[in-house]
Amino acid sequence: MEEVFIPALGMAMEEAYLEKWLKHPGDAVNAGDVIALIETDKAQVEVACETAGTVGKHRFEVGASVPVGETITVVLAPGESE
Amino acid sequence: MVGEVMGTREEMLAMLRMMMMIRNFEETADKLTLRGKVSGGMHNSSGQEAVAVGVMSALAPDDVIATTHRSHHHTLAKGFSAREVMAELMTKATGVSKGRGASMHLGDVARGHFGGNGIVGAGMGIGMGAALGIKLAGDKKVAVGFVGDGGMNTGRTWEAVNMAAIWKLPLIVVVDNNQYAVETFIERVTAGGDLPKRASGFGLPASTIDGQNVLEVKDAVAKARDFALAGNGPTFLNAVTYRYYGHNVGEKGQYRTLEEIEDWRTNRDPIDQLAARLFADGLLDQATFDEMTASVEAEIKDAVEFAENSPNPDPADVMLNVDSGKLRG
Repeated sequence: MEEVFIPALGMAMEEAYLEKWLKHPGDAVNAGDVIALIETDKAQVEVACETAGTVGKHRFEVGASVPVGETITVVLAPGESE
Repeated sequence: MVGEVMGTREEMLAMLRMMMMIRNFEETADKLTLRGKVSGGMHNSSGQEAVAVGVMSALAPDDVIATTHRSHHHTLAKGFSAREVMAELMTKATGVSKGRGASMHLGDVARGHFGGNGIVGAGMGIGMGAALGIKLAGDKKVAVGFVGDGGMNTGRTWEAVNMAAIWKLPLIVVVDNNQYAVETFIERVTAGGDLPKRASGFGLPASTIDGQNVLEVKDAVAKARDFALAGNGPTFLNAVTYRYYGHNVGEKGQYRTLEEIEDWRTNRDPIDQLAARLFADGLLDQATFDEMTASVEAEIKDAVEFAENSPNPDPADVMLNVDSGKLRG
């Protein structure tokens, strides 16, 4: 199971605004697929996954401010569950 | 890889293991940084291991280094433990700099490491000062000043080279040349195109070496060290290397093609090249290699646990190391 999380992208970044979910629970994804768009103080950033699998539950709604390092969803390998 | 002097099997395996340890350390620290567990900026040196390990393999323990903002590889290769470096990245009290410095300020003067810093080209200036100190004290050792390719176009670098040359200081200038000054490709900003040519204008031996070949780096530094110890002064080495990740962790890196990065990773990786040579020469077998891989993984896992479980610095000690304390009541 891969945890997809809000990356720390700058020295002073503490949280990000969750702008849009591009993949939804149950969607099949490949490594490198963009899962969500987030906004930091400086830029819009694509959050991608590193492995192929099935997207799990969205742990935050669009519009949420999510702390750096927080997991926003997971990518499940075949046979895995949350 | 031709022309280098091979060391003993133990020396070769130690160099390979150190490069593997640095790679694992950096890739682990990169992930921890993205998770928000590392304070301040973090510059990953993956891909540049052979420069650090080649240099340190040619130095004596008492020799001095001064480094740059990208210094984990230099610091680990100098003999600092993964535990104390990882703890410093997390600004813990058990870190190299007692949690005051983070990634860019690793160092310990007592152990011949005059520190990293965030100033472009400053490692060279500090290294030159260390070399002057060595000469004045009459010590039989050398100083290495590390500088990046970006530092090649800043004035203080050449002031230091000039002073080291006229005073014949025991300084080895090592350009840890990963070819990109943040996003800027070195060839686009280097008038004349040839860094050693600039240095040889100051009258010192200067050459470009393959920074992906740990044995070539070690050889060149050993010669420069002998030259300096004989009283002949500084040498300039332009070690051409490549960083696999962005300038800093989290950078998107859209100024390089994926093909370029993949080519360096696949065809010029310093660890792969040394391992292949040792396999071919019968100095390394699969069981030994697997054992080294497992022991490196265990060492870095232990370093992360140590760092995470270490205390933060005590706020009561905030003035510690700020000054001598003599002027305060």
